[in-house]
Amino acid sequence: MPEHRPLEPATPWVEVVATDADWDAADPDLLRTIYAQLVWVRAFEQYVLDLAGAGLVHGPAHSSIGQEGGAVGSVLALTSDDTVNGSHRGHHQFLAKALHHVEPKGLDPLAPPSDAVREVLLRTLAEIAGLDRGWSHGRGGSMHLQWKDAGAMGTNAIVGGGVPQAAGFAWSHRRAGTDAVSVTYFGDGAANIGSTLETMNLASAWDLPVCFFVENNRYAVSTTVEEATGEPRLSSRGPGFGIAAWKVDGMDPLATHLAMTEAVEHMRRGRGPTLVEADTYRFFHQNGGFAGSAFGYRSKEEERQWRARDPLTQTAGHLVRRGLLTEEETERAGAQARSVLEEVGSVLLEPDPQGKPGTRRIRSAEWPDPGWVDVGVRGDLSELADPPVVTDESSVAVADTKLIDAVATVMGRRMETDPGVVVMGEDVHRLNGGTNGATRGLADRFPGRILGTPISENAFAGLAGGIALDGRFTPVVEFMYADFMWVAADQLFNQIAKARHMYGGSGGVPLVLRSKVAMGTGYGSQHSMDPAGIFASSVGWRIVAPSTPYDYVGLMNTALRLRDPVVVLEHVDLYTSTGPGPVDDWDYCLPVGQASVRRRGSDVTVLSYLGMTPYVLGAVEEHGGVDAEVIDLRWLDRASIDWDTIEESLTRTNQVLIAEQGAIGTSYGGWLADEIHRRFFDLLDAPVWRVTGGEASPSISKVLERAAIAQQAEVVAALDEIARY
Amino acid sequence: MARVLRMPGVAANTTEAVLAEWLVQESADFAAADPIATVETDKAAVDVEADAAGRVLKTLVPPGAQVEVGDPIAVLGDPGEQVDDLDALLASLGVGAVTDPVVPVRREVPAEPPPPTRVFASPLARRLAKDAGLALEEIDGTGPRGRVLRRDVDAAVAKHNGATAQAADDPTYELVPHSRVRRATARRLVESKRTAPHFYVRATVRAEGLLALRAALNRDESLGVSVNDLVVKAVAAAHERVPDLNVTWSDDGVRRYRSVDVGVAVATDRGLMTPVVRDVGSLTVGRLAREIRDLAERARDGRLRPDDLEGGSMAVTNLGMYGVAEFAAIINPPHAAILAVGAVRDEPVVEDGAVVPGKVMTVTLSVDHRPVDGVVAARWLAVLVELLEEPVRTLA
Repeated sequence: MPEHRPLEPATPWVEVVATDADWDAADPDLLRTIYAQLVWVRAFEQYVLDLAGAGLVHGPAHSSIGQEGGAVGSVLALTSDDTVNGSHRGHHQFLAKALHHVEPKGLDPLAPPSDAVREVLLRTLAEIAGLDRGWSHGRGGSMHLQWKDAGAMGTNAIVGGGVPQAAGFAWSHRRAGTDAVSVTYFGDGAANIGSTLETMNLASAWDLPVCFFVENNRYAVSTTVEEATGEPRLSSRGPGFGIAAWKVDGMDPLATHLAMTEAVEHMRRGRGPTLVEADTYRFFHQNGGFAGSAFGYRSKEEERQWRARDPLTQTAGHLVRRGLLTEEETERAGAQARSVLEEVGSVLLEPDPQGKPGTRRIRSAEWPDPGWVDVGVRGDLSELADPPVVTDESSVAVADTKLIDAVATVMGRRMETDPGVVVMGEDVHRLNGGTNGATRGLADRFPGRILGTPISENAFAGLAGGIALDGRFTPVVEFMYADFMWVAADQLFNQIAKARHMYGGSGGVPLVLRSKVAMGTGYGSQHSMDPAGIFASSVGWRIVAPSTPYDYVGLMNTALRLRDPVVVLEHVDLYTSTGPGPVDDWDYCLPVGQASVRRRGSDVTVLSYLGMTPYVLGAVEEHGGVDAEVIDLRWLDRASIDWDTIEESLTRTNQVLIAEQGAIGTSYGGWLADEIHRRFFDLLDAPVWRVTGGEASPSISKVLERAAIAQQAEVVAALDEIARY
Repeated sequence: MARVLRMPGVAANTTEAVLAEWLVQESADFAAADPIATVETDKAAVDVEADAAGRVLKTLVPPGAQVEVGDPIAVLGDPGEQVDDLDALLASLGVGAVTDPVVPVRREVPAEPPPPTRVFASPLARRLAKDAGLALEEIDGTGPRGRVLRRDVDAAVAKHNGATAQAADDPTYELVPHSRVRRATARRLVESKRTAPHFYVRATVRAEGLLALRAALNRDESLGVSVNDLVVKAVAAAHERVPDLNVTWSDDGVRRYRSVDVGVAVATDRGLMTPVVRDVGSLTVGRLAREIRDLAERARDGRLRPDDLEGGSMAVTNLGMYGVAEFAAIINPPHAAILAVGAVRDEPVVEDGAVVPGKVMTVTLSVDHRPVDGVVAARWLAVLVELLEEPVRTLA
């Protein structure tokens, strides 16, 4: 019989319960403010449901009615310097944070609202209705509410999708030397998704001041928390990751406030992340104004029991009991809020003369201009207005340089001149510069800025996304293999790529992703892809693909100055190659959207990039029968590709070959061929030629791997075909 | 106080729902929060609850009806409320007749037309050939599947220039380069002969009536009416009487025209042009003569607009001024017929058993057999003959 020794979690896990004595001891102004916020949020949400019922809200209206207590109680423990983000059900969190920002001294439930409060209500309502006056000009709507000035960093429609970013906000707060904290609100549904759990681990590993605030409303749409997990006490997730955890009755705003005050104190003292689970209940279905019982997944009796514990009624009861408000006054506060919402709504709405009697419509001037649909997908490049962007490339003195040395040297130079640059990735801090030496010497020179991460790409890519959204620092993320982008797909493609446009088009997302292409190294099907084609399909990313040390330095310098996310592709084959690199100037930037003509020719234009460029140049020499013009694209994304150079070349050659190494399914050239056919149809004397790898991902076996990817021989074969055409 | 109950939006973005059941019948009272009706979508069945006590005065949709969100479904009143004139009440509430759900009608999808035969050419070759005034059909393609490439166009242009240069050296003939009009005419007529099976009907008419009418009209010298103008007018009148000839062939079906547009062949220095006179039936002879003169002048000056050359179902071509007795013409596509008109000539004719001097004219109708059968052509020609011999009837 072995001996059994009981083990204890390393961090506390407690429930906080507020008694009448706590209510009696609470500051009257705090209670008035809690009640005022509850009343404003409730009236707002009721008004949104009315609009949704009248068909005036396009898309879902995820009502927070019933859940206001948790958001209001917790936000009032924060300041404007603290940040929050949230989920698809985030109106209450957003409003609480915004109202607390404009009225930091508190709110009187009976006082008429200030202009600033009206403005918050109006712009939030406009955003939810998809109107130009909204925080993001109607692009974000109900599920993407952002007002950075108030510390409301953006609600999110992907379950758990905002959680990694909150860790990034927390990292920035700490790195900036402040005691501000980051709170990420999410529901019971998000307690089981990878983004959340990975981020809990990362935040705990790095002691980040982030609070994981779980609004446990018991239902993920219609699936109960008991169905979704074997441990429905969601606060238990905290101790598993070494995170201090509190559980509290979220219908009781004061209890939530007391628990949150303790959690904030914990974080401000530098003790690491916290988890607060607030038990709460949404009175209605997932969206719209009908009760969940109408959809058959819960009972009317259960709803009656929870409604009896309505945070507004509870708070009003204590206020009346303490003589701080009369019953009539609590009702007057509600009536005032409802009538103010009507006034605010009338700014956006007017009677519909063509509609059924009594119906309203959006005032036409309130809609965003449809011509604005794609504006702000990426920045306007004004950040590159000042030198040292080089226009004359011969102005930089060059000598033979090993590419991997250029990679480490230019990053060191940037970290030296810009204290905001921070590098993170797996093993970047060890092994003398990571697995390939790309960060050689940097960990010692820049303590705290070369961050070795746990193996959780979605969490650390998302954390970097949060740092970029915050804007005070510039994260450089290294992916050891490009294929790992699929692991981090939500953060890369749903969050980082879309954030600028989705939140209104003006906020930058300055982030550099260094993604290594390891094709040819024998790492097999899951480590050998070229990600260019996938990134090119994700509007928002800029893509650079340097094939020489000179290009790497100039393109990395530009990437680090851009306020857009940039993926810098690095081919492992090129790391040890030698080519022209700068002698002493490590600060020059290559202009966005400029390709490089590597060889002049008149028979066919070959477009290539990254590790394929040397193979193409070799193939043209080897074949000898086709006078090919070889263009190294350098910039690959839709917005940055050099159409002028391509067109000028095609005007002379009338034929184009797109040469790349990777498998055809995820290949880069597909969209480019499409665009070339449409832009330059009349210049083409032949279909667009293509060289790609095979259909399957490259295998481990050396001969199969060689057969799966395209190199010099495949380009020679294509030139042969072109010669016979 | 009567009020309208509308179909609620049960879930986000639902635009309609089924009124499953009335839980309170007409003229029955209900209390606040009583369910009045059950509404179903594919996601949920929801009871519509009363926000205050009242009475169902009138249900506007039957159980099972699919109703658009926001449409009225019932008129509610206060408990016990009686209404004498329900129609007036409905009208005062702005509730009109409730329409039945619309069932979309299946539309027949027309069969795919057969693919056109075409010359394959690279986009660049097409542009270069067009710039050089060469038809792709005349260029041999050497690319895959006979595709015409830039090198083929370059070769054709070189050959063309070489041929021109060579002709200058050869004293036996002079090579006149094709004008665009001649090239286009050649292509169209070849196409016509190849795709439209021609047949011909011919008649000789007494022309005294035509000449007399022309003389009478031209007493007003400003009119300047020709025999040909009167023939064109008669063609329009014949079309009105035998509309089966006012047609053209298309792959989808025979197009039967609602107005009579007639082409008039005009010889020009650059080649043959056939501008079209619109709605000839509605024009006076004087106006018609002016339009034909105007079109002919503009054709000779190269001032025709592209739309002057489009449309019509038939053309008239006349070589009478050159003394030609009779001839047959090739149909100008996409027309279904062309009328070739010969000269008015003196010939002995038999009249009441006696040979007398007469004025006669022969007309030959070429017809596309695809849309028009011989009998129709014969009937039309008989009508035309009558109209030409008594041309005053064309003025009616």
